[in-house]
Amino acid sequence: MSVTPEEIVDGRRIVVCVGSGGVGKTTISASLALGGARRGRRVLVLTIDPAKRLADALGVRSLGNQPRAIPRKVLDRLGVPADGKLSAMMLDMKRTFDDLVERFAEDAEVRNRILENPIYQHASDALAGSAEYSAMEKVFELSERRDFDLIVLDTPPSQHALDFLEAPQRLLEFLDSRLVQLLLHPAFAAGRFGFRLFQRSAHQVLRALERVSGVSFLEDISEFLLAFEGMSEGFRERARQVQALLFGPESAFILAAGPADESVAHATAFLDRLEKSRAVVAGIVLNRLRMWPAAEVKLPHRRQREVAIASLAEALEGGGEMRGSAPRAAEAALSMLDGYASMVQQDRAATAPLRERARRNGYFWRPVPELPRDVHDFDGLARIAGFVFETIREEEAVGG
Amino acid sequence: MSGVTRGGIALAESTRSLLDPRLVIVTGKGGTGKTTVAAALALAAAARGRRVVVVETGREEHVPRLLAPDSEPVGYGGREIRPGLTAMRVDPYEALAEYLGLQLRVPALVSRMMRNKGFRQFMDASPGWRELITLGKVWHLGQQQTDDGEPRYDMLLVDAPATGHGLTFLDVPRVVVSALRAGPLRRHAGWVEEMLRDPTETLLVPVAMAEELPARETVELVEHVREGMGVPVDRVVINAVLERPFPEDCPDLDERLARIPEEPPLEELPPAAVIASCAAHLRSRYELNQRYVEEIARTSGLPALTLPFLPGGIRGPDDLGVLADILAGPASGDAA
Repeated sequence: MSVTPEEIVDGRRIVVCVGSGGVGKTTISASLALGGARRGRRVLVLTIDPAKRLADALGVRSLGNQPRAIPRKVLDRLGVPADGKLSAMMLDMKRTFDDLVERFAEDAEVRNRILENPIYQHASDALAGSAEYSAMEKVFELSERRDFDLIVLDTPPSQHALDFLEAPQRLLEFLDSRLVQLLLHPAFAAGRFGFRLFQRSAHQVLRALERVSGVSFLEDISEFLLAFEGMSEGFRERARQVQALLFGPESAFILAAGPADESVAHATAFLDRLEKSRAVVAGIVLNRLRMWPAAEVKLPHRRQREVAIASLAEALEGGGEMRGSAPRAAEAALSMLDGYASMVQQDRAATAPLRERARRNGYFWRPVPELPRDVHDFDGLARIAGFVFETIREEEAVGG
Repeated sequence: MSGVTRGGIALAESTRSLLDPRLVIVTGKGGTGKTTVAAALALAAAARGRRVVVVETGREEHVPRLLAPDSEPVGYGGREIRPGLTAMRVDPYEALAEYLGLQLRVPALVSRMMRNKGFRQFMDASPGWRELITLGKVWHLGQQQTDDGEPRYDMLLVDAPATGHGLTFLDVPRVVVSALRAGPLRRHAGWVEEMLRDPTETLLVPVAMAEELPARETVELVEHVREGMGVPVDRVVINAVLERPFPEDCPDLDERLARIPEEPPLEELPPAAVIASCAAHLRSRYELNQRYVEEIARTSGLPALTLPFLPGGIRGPDDLGVLADILAGPASGDAA
């Protein structure tokens, strides 16, 4: 028996929505949040890179880095009860990281030294893990504030599976690494016998790096790292708490995927990694699946095709068509149906392995049909939420 | 200035063929089909007698699978997988080892560095060098010569990493040049930057899809590239553009189907309302797709070259051939 999306939004404090770029992760995240609000919870959806019109609809474009409450009258229209709340926020990663520096820097001088360091300015958003780290940091900070019962995190589009989740760990390993320590404390390392042998190869590596990069580069780097060092204890403790929260019993992961071959391959890789980690995987939302607008659609067998075309042509004429053009339109309709059938078949075949995996591992499986238009308003989100929380049945999918 | 080209009709006369530049960098949001476009271009170039190398930058190899389905992995050393067509996957650490070997000239030291755990941790977390070293390798491939002193490759094709936040891949050389004061690394980054900005040798080809997010990202990319970086870009490729769902003489087929009365039921067919709803859906998706095609061309200010959506997917060289012909276009001169 698999869990349901209802149980997840009712029982968890953090829902992490993962998946590769382009599958509509932001839309899925926002609709999960809406689903939670409809069930009477106070929910925040934290997005990273929303499509412009969806961002406008959520109202997160203009207000930087702070949650924005969706107005009550919109919530009423969406069927959110009085005790339910929905807020949205777009993460400004650079600013979150700057805030972090402000918080953990020992004093104003250290803070300014970091913020003004050329390497920091060029690299703080590129330093592996810093963007991901800030996203997690923000989740943690918001979860501490207890303004929300549930936070849905729309993860940044990362090219490779779970870079996002492993990034903070890598950042810490980097700060701890011998090479960095040596850049920071060359005198300390050189002055101790035990360390010397231990560090000799690192010294050689540094000297080699210096020959290639020039001395000044390493000086700038070590200045940057030195400034960071003072705050690294606070940093480290924080990273531990963030990890404990995300991989603990209060969080669950939901995978968003699309039906294209490439997307299914990415989704499979994501699951491989998630299952190896301590993450709790709750379910898969398969977005933009092409499906029939009715439960059971049977197309005519080749032998009955002529009969079908004649019948459709007659019906078209009955609907007020001019004589003569109806058989041609009926032919066109039949080949349109063939094309539709092959799309449906293709998506079903492509997603079958994911569906089987969901069944085997007890994940919920929620197909969301491709809609005639892109989703960029609340009514669209409500529709998606209807599929995720199964208040809309599949056969009502298309044509609305 | 902007315009949409369908099916490979020639772009403005001033526009080069995609096969003319020595270095073509294919870029775009993940999932738009960058790799497909790079592979199709390589196929077109090789078919016209060019010696071409196509460089992949991701963790997996896709080009060999598309162009020579039974071939073994090509790896960092690269291999000629079709006549005149070499495929290669540049792993940053292998490129780094090669670069350090060339700079330090002490193989033992380089292998010690590469094995050093601290060095690996340091490099794992350090930003920017992967992009720089990959582009450096491309630069180096461009310098290589055969024994007769001829350039080894007539054309270098790079399947760039997916554009994410910012444009780090192409931005890095410039950042390095501005952040370093002196030294060999700065000089080498300068060479790479010069290569990227060369208007006669280099062309950046953004690949988009006619959907909201890829459309927006492509337009942002074009703006950034033209204003900030000076990397030559003169058109946008829009991939997987949907074909018209009904013949041109039945443009309103969905509406006609919707007017069919419920009774009597159709023979051997689902209810008319279901057929009408399928038709309306396809028409709506098609029209939306067309709107984004127009929007990309209009807001980027660049001509757009569209590639058709292939319903069966792209499984091998035959499917790629269709796209290759469109990409190469009649403007390539020797295509006849």
